[in-house]
Amino acid sequence: MFCREQVAQLRDRIEDIRDRGAEVAVIGNGAPQFAAAFADELEFDGRLLTDPDLVSYRAAGLRRGRAAALSPRLPLNAARALLDGHRQKAIQGDPWQLGGVFVIRPEGQLTFRHVSREAGDHPRVDDVLAALSESAPALAEGEAAPGFLAAGIGRTLSLFADPTIVLSFSRPGFQLHSLRFDPRDLDVDLAGRRCLVTGANSGLGFETALALADLGAEVVMLCRSLERGEEAAEEIRRRTGSPRVEVAKVDLASFDSVRRAAAELADSRADVLVHNAGLLPAGRVETPDGLELTFAVHVAGPHLMTRLLAPRLARSADARVVWVSSGGMYAKSLELEDPQWRDREYDGVAAYAETKRAQVVLADLWAEELGERGVVVNSMHPGWADTPGVETSIPGFHKLTRPILRTPAEGADTIVWLAASRAGRRRTASFFLDREARCKHYLPFTREREADRRALWQMCERLTAE
Amino acid sequence: MRIATRLSGITLSDTQDRPVRLGSLWAERPVVLAFVRHFG
Repeated sequence: MFCREQVAQLRDRIEDIRDRGAEVAVIGNGAPQFAAAFADELEFDGRLLTDPDLVSYRAAGLRRGRAAALSPRLPLNAARALLDGHRQKAIQGDPWQLGGVFVIRPEGQLTFRHVSREAGDHPRVDDVLAALSESAPALAEGEAAPGFLAAGIGRTLSLFADPTIVLSFSRPGFQLHSLRFDPRDLDVDLAGRRCLVTGANSGLGFETALALADLGAEVVMLCRSLERGEEAAEEIRRRTGSPRVEVAKVDLASFDSVRRAAAELADSRADVLVHNAGLLPAGRVETPDGLELTFAVHVAGPHLMTRLLAPRLARSADARVVWVSSGGMYAKSLELEDPQWRDREYDGVAAYAETKRAQVVLADLWAEELGERGVVVNSMHPGWADTPGVETSIPGFHKLTRPILRTPAEGADTIVWLAASRAGRRRTASFFLDREARCKHYLPFTREREADRRALWQMCERLTAE
Repeated sequence: MRIATRLSGITLSDTQDRPVRLGSLWAERPVVLAFVRHFG
């Protein structure tokens, strides 16, 4: 009854909406054939789309759940809808999903937002029409604020969930941790800040570049393939309406390539550097510089890039470097004996974890190196996210865990938070998961000595010296 | 991230099962975008 009521209200005023130069689009979550019947029956001639997977509902931040759909005001709303003649027919779609109404203008500004709190909670069409006037102001867009109670529950539950890694790193883990996020943290304007993201054409790098561009930053997407990079940049320009998205070519597996890219980038400012590029090869591959591939791309290449861009970063009033590491590093100590896998039988997953451990140590060392010059350096774990990299490198893991994997945007959340929020510069030399500094070791044997840390630094300096 | 940016890359089907990129809905003119609980 509620849905036909709402669509009927919009249908009745569709001419008023069109008089204001706007269109109406309705999104439902049943199958297409039900949508068609629904439209015919209601004589609704606006756009009608269907989203059985609720992807757009989630992206719009709409509510769902039994508690939400069955509130105490429900019987009153039901009575009103019945009196108006909108009797409930068989439900097609997810009965617990709640709806909402938005007005979006061509540049992507939001001038109206109504997120239903319960079934039958619709906005007044007059309020929607008011938001269509030329003078309607764009609304501020923070994230939905968690309630006080929700934050408390999140805090208590995460105390128990964190030691159980599976829960913590997965999608439920993100949902739990995100109850504690302060929605104002990403209410920032990055206009004038230039952010460099490596491996930006897909997965977490892409989501990071997209979010930073959305917040108004100038974004440089550092990609191995200019063609794939440009394609991704075009998508970001289209989605954010921001023209300030560039692509630069860099292959972190090659010192030559890193030097060429850095020489080009050093001409303009650099406020944020995100070391995101990563891979997990099936066998041992040696780079032209004689290094094992994951070591080159995760450790040596980013080390050189940071070295070459350090003068630029130091000139920024608020410079940040983010190392995208992985929770896989918890299983490994810093490998100094055979980091290039010359004397061991190659194991890609172990190589990955070792280099991710090295990144955490290296981030700390760079934080010391650049701390006096005001550059904040942190490392982070994105959690287990469903990215093209995970799907192709560890298909077995991907298949097994897919239902609980985070979306790439959820995985990128802490990268963006470290790069963009004021809270993100409160700590340096820390390792983050879901916007909070976490311990760097769960297993005692993985702790490195100070001498080991120095040895890593000297190795990186020696390898990258000209 | 702005709602428009998050939604713009999503592609859904219309009643004839044709793909529609959500960003195209507000490319030319403002749109009233209503999410309903279900059809029926």
